[in-house]
Amino acid sequence: MTKGGVVKTIGVIGAGVMGAGIAAQAANAGLGVVLLDIVPGAAARAIATMARAEPAAFMHSRAARLITPGDLGADIGKLAACDWIIDAIVERPDAKRALYAQLQAVRKPGSIVSSNTSTIKLATLTEGLGADFAADFLISHFFNPPRYMRLLELVAGPTTRPDAVEAVRACCDVQLGKTVIDCRDTPGFIANRIGSLWAGMAVRHAIDLGLTVEEADAVMGRPLGIPRTGIFGLMDLVGIDLGPHVAKSLLASLPANDAYCRLYREEPLVARMIAEGRIGRKGKGGFYSRAPDKSRLSIDLATGEYRKQREARLASLETRKPADLADHPDIGGRYARAVLLDTLGYAASLVPEIAGDIASVDAAMRLGYNWKYGPFELIDQLGAGWLARALAADGRAVPGLLALVGDRPFYRVDSGKLQAFGVDGAYKDVPRADGVLLLEDIKRAGKPLARNAGASLWDIGDGVACLEFHTKMNALDQDVLAMVGRAVGMGAKGAFKALVIYNDGEQFSVGANIGIALFAANIAAWGDIEGAIAAGQQAMLALRNAPFPVVGAPAGMALGGGCEVLLHCAAVVASAETYIGLVEVGVGLVPGWGGCATMLARWSAAPRLPRGPMPAMSKVFEIISTAQVSKSAAEARELLLLRDSDGISMNRDRLLADARARALAMVADYAPPPSAKLRLPGPTGATALRMAVDGFVAMGRATAYDAVVGSELAVVLSGGDTDHTVEIDEDAVRTLERAAFMALLKKPGTLARIEHMLENGRPLRN
Amino acid sequence: MTSYTAPLRDMRFALYELADFATVTALPGCGEVTQGLVDPILEAGGVFCAEVLAPINRSGDEEGCHFENGVVRTPAGFREAYAAFCRDGWPALHADPAYGGQGLPKTVSLMFEEMICSANLSFGMYPGLSHGAYEALRAHGTPDLQQLYLPKLVSGEWSGTMCLTEPQCGTDLGLLRTRAEPAEDGSFRVTGTKIFISAGEHDLTGNILHLVLARLPGAPAGVRGISLFLVPKFVPAEDGRPGVRNAVAAGAIEHKMGIKASSTCVMNFDGAQGWIVGQPHRGLTAMFTMMNAARLSVGIQGLGVAEVSYQNAVAYARDRLQGRALGGVARPDLPADPILVHPDVRRMLLTMRAGVEGCRALGVRVAVAQDIAMSHADADVRAEADDYVALMTPIVKAYFTDMGWEATVLGMQVLGGHGYIREHGMEQFVRDARIAQIYEGTNGIQALDLVGRKMSAHAGRYLRRFFHPVSAYIEAKQGQPALAEFVDPLAKAFVRLQQATAALAAKGIADPFEAGAAASDYLRLFALVALAQLWAEAAEISVGKTEDFYRAKLATARFFMAKILPQSSSLFSTIMAGGGSLKEFEDGLF
Repeated sequence: MTKGGVVKTIGVIGAGVMGAGIAAQAANAGLGVVLLDIVPGAAARAIATMARAEPAAFMHSRAARLITPGDLGADIGKLAACDWIIDAIVERPDAKRALYAQLQAVRKPGSIVSSNTSTIKLATLTEGLGADFAADFLISHFFNPPRYMRLLELVAGPTTRPDAVEAVRACCDVQLGKTVIDCRDTPGFIANRIGSLWAGMAVRHAIDLGLTVEEADAVMGRPLGIPRTGIFGLMDLVGIDLGPHVAKSLLASLPANDAYCRLYREEPLVARMIAEGRIGRKGKGGFYSRAPDKSRLSIDLATGEYRKQREARLASLETRKPADLADHPDIGGRYARAVLLDTLGYAASLVPEIAGDIASVDAAMRLGYNWKYGPFELIDQLGAGWLARALAADGRAVPGLLALVGDRPFYRVDSGKLQAFGVDGAYKDVPRADGVLLLEDIKRAGKPLARNAGASLWDIGDGVACLEFHTKMNALDQDVLAMVGRAVGMGAKGAFKALVIYNDGEQFSVGANIGIALFAANIAAWGDIEGAIAAGQQAMLALRNAPFPVVGAPAGMALGGGCEVLLHCAAVVASAETYIGLVEVGVGLVPGWGGCATMLARWSAAPRLPRGPMPAMSKVFEIISTAQVSKSAAEARELLLLRDSDGISMNRDRLLADARARALAMVADYAPPPSAKLRLPGPTGATALRMAVDGFVAMGRATAYDAVVGSELAVVLSGGDTDHTVEIDEDAVRTLERAAFMALLKKPGTLARIEHMLENGRPLRN
Repeated sequence: MTSYTAPLRDMRFALYELADFATVTALPGCGEVTQGLVDPILEAGGVFCAEVLAPINRSGDEEGCHFENGVVRTPAGFREAYAAFCRDGWPALHADPAYGGQGLPKTVSLMFEEMICSANLSFGMYPGLSHGAYEALRAHGTPDLQQLYLPKLVSGEWSGTMCLTEPQCGTDLGLLRTRAEPAEDGSFRVTGTKIFISAGEHDLTGNILHLVLARLPGAPAGVRGISLFLVPKFVPAEDGRPGVRNAVAAGAIEHKMGIKASSTCVMNFDGAQGWIVGQPHRGLTAMFTMMNAARLSVGIQGLGVAEVSYQNAVAYARDRLQGRALGGVARPDLPADPILVHPDVRRMLLTMRAGVEGCRALGVRVAVAQDIAMSHADADVRAEADDYVALMTPIVKAYFTDMGWEATVLGMQVLGGHGYIREHGMEQFVRDARIAQIYEGTNGIQALDLVGRKMSAHAGRYLRRFFHPVSAYIEAKQGQPALAEFVDPLAKAFVRLQQATAALAAKGIADPFEAGAAASDYLRLFALVALAQLWAEAAEISVGKTEDFYRAKLATARFFMAKILPQSSSLFSTIMAGGGSLKEFEDGLF
């Protein structure tokens, strides 16, 4: 839930990709934004570009209106209203200092100035600007794209006001949703310093050892996950031209004896690709490309020519653990070992130079470079002693911290608390900010109240329990449903006073386990399937009718059955980055766990629609038949997948605590909502919907089987055999949901869609 | 001395009454394949098998093959029989007219295959292997290779082999060592030793074409590094006739339990000239394209031997007089009653009969699907049929050959002590039938194929091709009083199969050992349900008909439902008991 802080209005100078992205995220948080650029008209154009960006920069179309664009020359006065002014202009110290001098004339007293520089030291930026400026100045380094990358590197100068630092920290954390990591004032701070060396070595060793790009990416991507795309996939994604910029800056500012300067090598292939405009996805292809016939190509690292993409096949790729990979004798294993020795050895040598603790370094690499594990977490998997001996065997210096830790791990759990090894040789608890409640910490500290293979129930304090899904992709299966029932039962008996449904997974839930459903359908186990749908409906109703508040707290995808869980919660507090939708038609089905019934109830009660039975039905049909998925929590409100009363948390790490607070606030005098009464048009409505779908089919915008699915959906949403003069209970719609679900599941078109989704991860358009 | 008469009436029932023969006739190129064309062929086939092949079955077994200085001589009469076989055009039955074949569907040729297996299983090995080689070359050979070799295989002038097994590698082909080095002329030099090569060397044909799995230089380890090569015994000369003797020779023949007239050789390749068939490293794929057909044929071997054993056991039981019927004297005119009156003899005979007729019906159903998968005009229909064939192939192979072995043992038992005497011929059927459970993938491997691969493929899509029709059949027929005694037991067994399938799928994901431990029992349960559906259909056709054939069919269907299908209940219990008792037994205690 967004809380008001000191910072209400933000000024951003420089409407490039970063500046405009930061402005967009500030607007997403509901802050007022002034966006200025030195080029006249550029800021307005940047906002328009952001509105079309993919992935979307704005969480909601309204957010763009919170940004006031302007020209730096004419409109600099508009910054006078800003509590915090962010410099995102060109990476030149002189230009930045000149800008700051201008700002001194216009900004209001007590306002804060920060730079989004990625490589320039704070001391350099404040040179000659006086003590007043230095007290108000710090570095706030966002990562691209600012909406989605959760890392914010924060560097305070020796004379920066502590309250200014805290104001920016609070704004970034609570309102912009970032994880704020304190960095020392060193070149490249944390993520780019280590990440840039890693990238250079990952390219260099791939070329020297003769790996293909597919092999190199598979080794980095699959067993190590640093990051999932691998090195060349990542460079294509962020732009191949970006690396040399960062490298140039680091080379200019780091001492010559720094390992970065010693190991860095300019790659002729990369230089040639940049010269030819082959800079990745934003240019004419990169390491990967497409042939005119759309077939996939990739570059031959030796010749620089494109060739057909080929799957990486290495025995080392069969390994699961980083240690086994680094020990593997084949080319993949040797590659992993070479890159890991350079990267992890370097990272270990940089604490405390770049950050006060290892946990900050790990968090920075996870959140800023999308690594699955931070460098010290990787070292723990390999063994600190192993790394030290491997470095020594290679004739390299063993970093002091590595020598100090010896054969002990960098992280340990003590009395249920995660502790990290400090530079003083002592283990200390890894700190969590106020208002941050992590399920992983709760799980570390205790045992669940209940557990089965699909879900667990945890005591998260203050008398609140958390229902955690933990299946693959958090798909909902019989175990999960059983745990829902058990949780409601325990709560009804007073084991806790409120329930939060939350998990740490990347996706809240991708919906019902369609693999199990398909298998059951394939063996004609119709009775079992009918039973399972009914059980699902019962579980959802149990959540809705629970005698205590149930608060859904989703982040990531909440699709199909995952969405239906939320639709049955008394309240939802959603991460801003929540993508919700009833996507069942994609697999040839209709929502079967009360999704149709609940959406009809919500839209029937919506004041924004004209009266009468048709508008609500039509709107719900439009949403479900096109499998609309909201691209943010804010957008989900538009679709009534979330209610206006449901909350949104910008910071993923604060979601659980926010949801718990919401649940506790609802406990007093809680009564479950009554079942809704509906007036639906019946067969005439169904006919109207079918005619609409047939029109789409005729126009080529829907497929023949879309019409079949649409027809079943039409029966459900129109209320079956009813008419608008009769008031029916929403449970009658649930009965229709079950019938339609079963009818569709027996059709080959639906079975083909499910199979295609399982095997290819995308819908079949049959 | 045994005798054999082709079971033409039941074959016609399986083909025209139980199977959807119209679908086969409607396939492209099958327009002429009518009952009027097929019946005379089957009749002639029956006569050929009874008069030419059956008479040399026991003598061939007694004499066996002879091996001297790398040369294999088949037993007396085999050369003449093979010449007659080719002269009458039998090798060409199920072959492409483009290469001199007659273009009959598998559904029809399968019936003739069964007759050969009944009459003389050993003899059947030679044309059987040739047909496998034909299929592989036709699917994967270059046009040059096809033009040169296919007509000779189709005419029977030359024969073929499948060289897979090596001393260190049987089931696990990943261990294969034979290598093939490229030569300058585009051919390859194949070097290595292959064992258990049926028809590897013999005196029936002028040339022998070996299809050999081998590794190219630098090939990846395991099954992904295996290629397929054609290595002829004689490299054909310019005029197409056998030319230079190639560096491949038999080193020995095996001394086996049964099929003794089939020459099973150790083959030594010593830089033999060969030509690649299909893509490099894709040899197993090439081999697998004919695996379904080959496994179905092996299943038919079990069926064929069971049929002939049944015929002879019935004849004996009618003639042999021993004791009196338990309920009172049956034939007061005779010194004792024929043993046919005794319940346990009847149990044995009916078990054999139900097994044979049921498997015949199922074999035809799978063969129809093979024909559809091969040549139906609609790609979706082809794909569905292909799914069904893939699913049913391990079931046919394993269940039919198990049934064949069990039936021949029963047939021998009916004869009592005389069954154990070589001169009566019944023990030869037992010995001959035994190999079919072992080769072409042991029956244990078939069961693993079913639970490991076929069950889980595409989230159970193959299963749909079986479960949906059975489910629909039960739904349509339940509640009809005349069919209740057949449909109700089918419905019960079907639910057991559904439950076992769901349980096994769930367990198998968590612990593959569990799936493996239940595999053989599951395959049997599956087969019983498949047979039960066919018996229900057969009963439906026969109800109310007065001809002996239908009365016998209905009575056999009743026997199956009452005495065979209940095995599904015990199999279900066995499956659900889990694999714990197999797993927990310590290795050292064996």
